[in-house]
Amino acid sequence: MASSRVITHPLSRRQLLKGGAALGIGSAAALGLRPAWANPWGQANTYAKGIEEGPEVALAIRRESLDIDGKQARPISINGTSPGPLIRLKEGQDAVLRVTNLLDEPTSIHWHGLILPPGMDGVPGVSFAGIEPGETFTYRIPIRQNGTYWYHSHSGMQEQLGHAGPLIIDAAEREPFRYDREHVLLLTDWTFEDPMSVFRNLKTAEGYYNFQERTIADFFADVREKGFAATADMRGMWAKMRMSSRDIADVTGSTYTYLLNGHSPGENWTALFKAGERIRLRVINGSAMSYFDVRIPGLKMTVVAADGQPVQPVPVDEFRIAVAETYDVLVTPEDDTAYTIFAESMDRSGYARATLAPREGMESDIPERRRIADRGMEAMGAHGMAGMDHSGMEGMDHSGMEGMDHSGMEGMDHSGMEGMDHSGMQGMDHGGGGMTKETSKTRENGMLASGEAQPGSRYGQAGIGIDPEERRVLVYRDLKAFTPWPDRREPGREMELHLTGNMERYMWSFDGKKFSEVTGPIHFEKDERLRLILVNDTMMEHPIHLHGMWMELENGQGELIPRKHTLNVKPGERVSALITADAEGSWAFHCHLLYHMDAGMFRVVKVS
Amino acid sequence: MRLMLLALTLGLATSTAFASGEHAGSHSSADAADVDRTIRFEAGDMWFEPEGLDIAPGETIRFEIVNTGNLEHEFVIGDAEAQAAHRKMMQEMSGSHGDGHAGHGGHDMAEGEHGGVMPAVTIAPGETAELVWTAPGNVDTLEYACNIPGHYESGMSGNIDFQG
Repeated sequence: MASSRVITHPLSRRQLLKGGAALGIGSAAALGLRPAWANPWGQANTYAKGIEEGPEVALAIRRESLDIDGKQARPISINGTSPGPLIRLKEGQDAVLRVTNLLDEPTSIHWHGLILPPGMDGVPGVSFAGIEPGETFTYRIPIRQNGTYWYHSHSGMQEQLGHAGPLIIDAAEREPFRYDREHVLLLTDWTFEDPMSVFRNLKTAEGYYNFQERTIADFFADVREKGFAATADMRGMWAKMRMSSRDIADVTGSTYTYLLNGHSPGENWTALFKAGERIRLRVINGSAMSYFDVRIPGLKMTVVAADGQPVQPVPVDEFRIAVAETYDVLVTPEDDTAYTIFAESMDRSGYARATLAPREGMESDIPERRRIADRGMEAMGAHGMAGMDHSGMEGMDHSGMEGMDHSGMEGMDHSGMEGMDHSGMQGMDHGGGGMTKETSKTRENGMLASGEAQPGSRYGQAGIGIDPEERRVLVYRDLKAFTPWPDRREPGREMELHLTGNMERYMWSFDGKKFSEVTGPIHFEKDERLRLILVNDTMMEHPIHLHGMWMELENGQGELIPRKHTLNVKPGERVSALITADAEGSWAFHCHLLYHMDAGMFRVVKVS
Repeated sequence: MRLMLLALTLGLATSTAFASGEHAGSHSSADAADVDRTIRFEAGDMWFEPEGLDIAPGETIRFEIVNTGNLEHEFVIGDAEAQAAHRKMMQEMSGSHGDGHAGHGGHDMAEGEHGGVMPAVTIAPGETAELVWTAPGNVDTLEYACNIPGHYESGMSGNIDFQG
């Protein structure tokens, strides 16, 4: 499995010159220009999961006993490993992927982020019937894109059992950056509990895995800081909303072991480099439920791709990666020393960790975890403001909002918020709402011009628990394509969807309706250009994933907006994406938090 | 797009301190006469072609740099430290919170840290720029680079090795 393949595209002449001779491709291996797992230097556990190269790949899915974090576990394996092997394809290939189900239940593989025929998308009940036990299903996919992606089961809770792996497509043409070496970093969250019982626990008590609720000690600390009345008001408000201000994640480090390439922090998976090399890190969040904040203390990271799509380079110190997103970053460690790759879970209940080092067995300091943050009032965002007293908001510029279509909001359920006391909210910062700052360009029909940021978006913020003053953090507004995407049409219509939920009963939905309650699919007219507006009425982040078509995230970058397969929508936020509905067929559209999807935050989009 | 042409003739130079030459859109005919050779450069997204140079000390070179990419690029010659200092400055100028102006803003000169000014030219997409430069006599290696935030880190640099 560990092949000694040579990457041919990023051969850097500078690197070769450094070597002092005009080396041919054959000897490039001597410089270590090989994929991470085929290298480095005979190390057995460098993405010990192996590599399967296209165009023809065979995968066998099993349930078996394997060690995870040194303890016996029963994950789902793919070709004997969990998470699964790296699948490496080339742009232009016609890939043939044969998947054999050796489980005692149906399974599937979805190729996350790939543009492909609807029958090959791998969602049981939407794109195909699923793969029955003992059966082999052959996926035939024309590969017409490149970049960093991943694959995972779309059946039940199998993804939580490790049924996932990285998927890399090498570019046919020169990529807009150079590098000497690459490593794949696949983040996952593992639980030794049965995923079904995790789900039951969540349904029984939403805060089941949350041991970070505010305590009486916090109360007195608040009183000291804010005074008794303000504190009591604040607490009363949260109580009335039946929310906890510390619900950052539903499922936390109390059950999860966070893994990097299948290894726990203690196992310290190591990626090797030689000082002065430029290294491409392909970071994939293959977690079921966990967002991570990723940094490498001592190194600047330059973000060069998001969701497999090249973006204009952004040097950062840290980036937040939502579930199912991928980011490619370049780092150039100049010193012959070890660096910690630190992926802190967004709720600060744990972390995944690996080491970037010139030799085996080295390690560096592990940063202290930050304290859990409180959900600020901005989490209540758009819907929270509906009932608010706006008297203090005179002078706000609403010009950008004229012509906004609020019709889709009539069905909103504000019932849980009645009786809210907003007196404590006077200090709210509306600056981040984009309402006052951004003068929006409006077209004659009342819709915003393409690429403009929606009022209510917070693309300039990374989100909760990250201090932009502390270090330079990637935000969505940074993401900028190199060239405009092919379809330059303005959207012909807007479709607004609300992300909705009832936290206490663990019900998650779109527009207040669970998947089991809707009567039909969302319809996109074949080849229409439309704007999808997502309004997050909940207190949590949701990574929204559309299958089969790109979403061009309208982050204010005009015609250079980035395109993504998964959009993180922060609490209370209103975001939009342009879509070209060119992929005829039925496609899944859902929140990529596994238990949210299963609870009903799922729809079928039909393009016809 | 503003095209800044900085023609420099470096008579004397230490390894780090460069004298600043005249700052003009046209260079004198004396420059042309003194040019030993012309080197064509391509600046793409995100690379330079060629990726390395060998130059004789004291040689006067006319660089013709064509920007074949979609983004603005610069071509700056200096030692690694001065380039790093310039890069840091440009990063700070670009704003720290993704305000979306990846562009160059008021940058019109590649200021080195050592009191000197590095030969620099900024090239808009599709444009060609020229830079005349005389290599110093007493350095081993210099770098050429584009220091627009993220560009160097993505691979827009190369080494100038001095023979002899």
